[in-house]
Amino acid sequence: MLFAALALVFYRLCPARYRAVVLLLLSYIFYCTWSLEAAVWLAGVTLLTFFGARLAANPESLEGEPSKHGKWLFLILAVLLAGYLFFFKLAAIAAVPGVGRIALPLGLSYYTFKLISYVLDCHWGKIEPETRIVSFASYVAFFPQLMGGPIQRAESYLPQLPPVRLAVAEGLPRIVWGLFKKIAVADQLGLTVNYVYANMRSLHGAQLLAGFLLFPLQLYADFSGLTDIAIGLGLLLGIRGPENFNRPFTASTITEFWRRWHMTLTGWLGDYVFTPLRMATRNAGTASVVFSITVNTVAIGLWHGFTWGYLVFGLVHSAYLVTEALTWKVRARFFRKNPNLDGWGSRLGAVMVFFLAMIAFVFFRAVHVSDAAWGLVHVWDGLGSVSTDLGVLIRAVSLRPLVIGLIGFACIEIGERFRPDIWMRKLYATWPGWAQEMFGATTMTLLVAAVYLLLLSNPGPDRPFIYEAF
Amino acid sequence: MKADRREEVILKLTEIFRDVLDHPDLVLTDDLTADQVDGWDSLSHINLLVAIERAFKIKFATREVTSLKNAGALIDLVVAKTEGAH
Repeated sequence: MLFAALALVFYRLCPARYRAVVLLLLSYIFYCTWSLEAAVWLAGVTLLTFFGARLAANPESLEGEPSKHGKWLFLILAVLLAGYLFFFKLAAIAAVPGVGRIALPLGLSYYTFKLISYVLDCHWGKIEPETRIVSFASYVAFFPQLMGGPIQRAESYLPQLPPVRLAVAEGLPRIVWGLFKKIAVADQLGLTVNYVYANMRSLHGAQLLAGFLLFPLQLYADFSGLTDIAIGLGLLLGIRGPENFNRPFTASTITEFWRRWHMTLTGWLGDYVFTPLRMATRNAGTASVVFSITVNTVAIGLWHGFTWGYLVFGLVHSAYLVTEALTWKVRARFFRKNPNLDGWGSRLGAVMVFFLAMIAFVFFRAVHVSDAAWGLVHVWDGLGSVSTDLGVLIRAVSLRPLVIGLIGFACIEIGERFRPDIWMRKLYATWPGWAQEMFGATTMTLLVAAVYLLLLSNPGPDRPFIYEAF
Repeated sequence: MKADRREEVILKLTEIFRDVLDHPDLVLTDDLTADQVDGWDSLSHINLLVAIERAFKIKFATREVTSLKNAGALIDLVVAKTEGAH
């Protein structure tokens, strides 16, 4: 946070035309403080992609399609980048002969996905290869998005350079909103979730269910909070990033849930994995649907890491999505014939989606798949002693953080439903620039003070964001 | 003449859209996007393309279908691909 504050002051004083260079320098300073070696890897793979794409492009591509030769080079580049990602993901779980285990470079999954989408977009002729190396390198290493996304496409980032308008009044409250989600909700609920998952085999039905129900709420507050901070920081730097969440718990089908949860990852996989696979196998009928969905959801799972838990998480979602894909026409006809049931269907659907997502998240969160399976089976134990069991759990984790977290989560849902920030922005859109910034800074100061007061009243160990690990 | 042919393509595409997306009243306009139609998602999008390929006896490449912004772009693509047939 201190790094970001100092960087922003310097950035603001800098003339717009130098901001792309400053952005690149800031990103690499940030990255080097984590690991110099990983920064060298990042620079290397950025240069390889930049010059590889320049080489693959040819003058004809400006008028028509790239030559066959160039198209192959783009594909080879994409395969090399996927290999780079696989190598580090595997090296993090199994020792490399002669080297041992290698720590996962910070933001690996995010920046390699940016690079692969860039190369494939060039291959498909959607964009021209970038000619400005500083702009390109700043896109790959853009520090607000390095830790937890969102995964922005080159076609959305590059035209914003050099950043001219720094949206301070919009960015600051967004960062504070993210901090609120993390500190007041995710970390508070996390205490109960961590306790339940760490002591799973010694707990009873209702206690397990409480931990399972709270984890999706914690994960949403944690990950969407991290995204809010990244988007807010981007706005302060004059770069508008893509949204990553859209009230996922209002989804009435799992298909819709994935259109609202980690949207930049699912959008990416949809464009570069699902659609090409479905197109390649499109005449195979139902088999093509099942195959493409399964590969896609397994990719979603394994993107988080090569573990059995993430694999099962992907497979469970594949079962949900295949079922929905094969039954959607029947469901659509039913609700067309019974329009009065449509509203109830959506409400019931949202509850079902929450429970179905919760089951999959148990595999995502548990240390071992066997623990997750054990917990899901034993969730029905002790139906006669629900209140006693919950009393024991609350005494073990203490009631206060749980209540703060749940009230905070309700605030998130209400805030994201009614979006007071939008009408506030409309209100002060007519004010002069300096007044808007003053307003943003005052709001920020007050909210930061509130968040820190909350933090001071709940001291605890440093709790990193869950999605920093990917 | 060209406008007539575009109209012809739109009529035929409307039928395909109504059948594949199961929307008997769907009206195909240039600025229609997937977000505006229930059931038009990445999955049914490929079903649509397969049906269009069969009806017009044409073939789409992946690069062509990943950059379609709205129904108008799809109509133009089908018109361009069937140009030789007229």
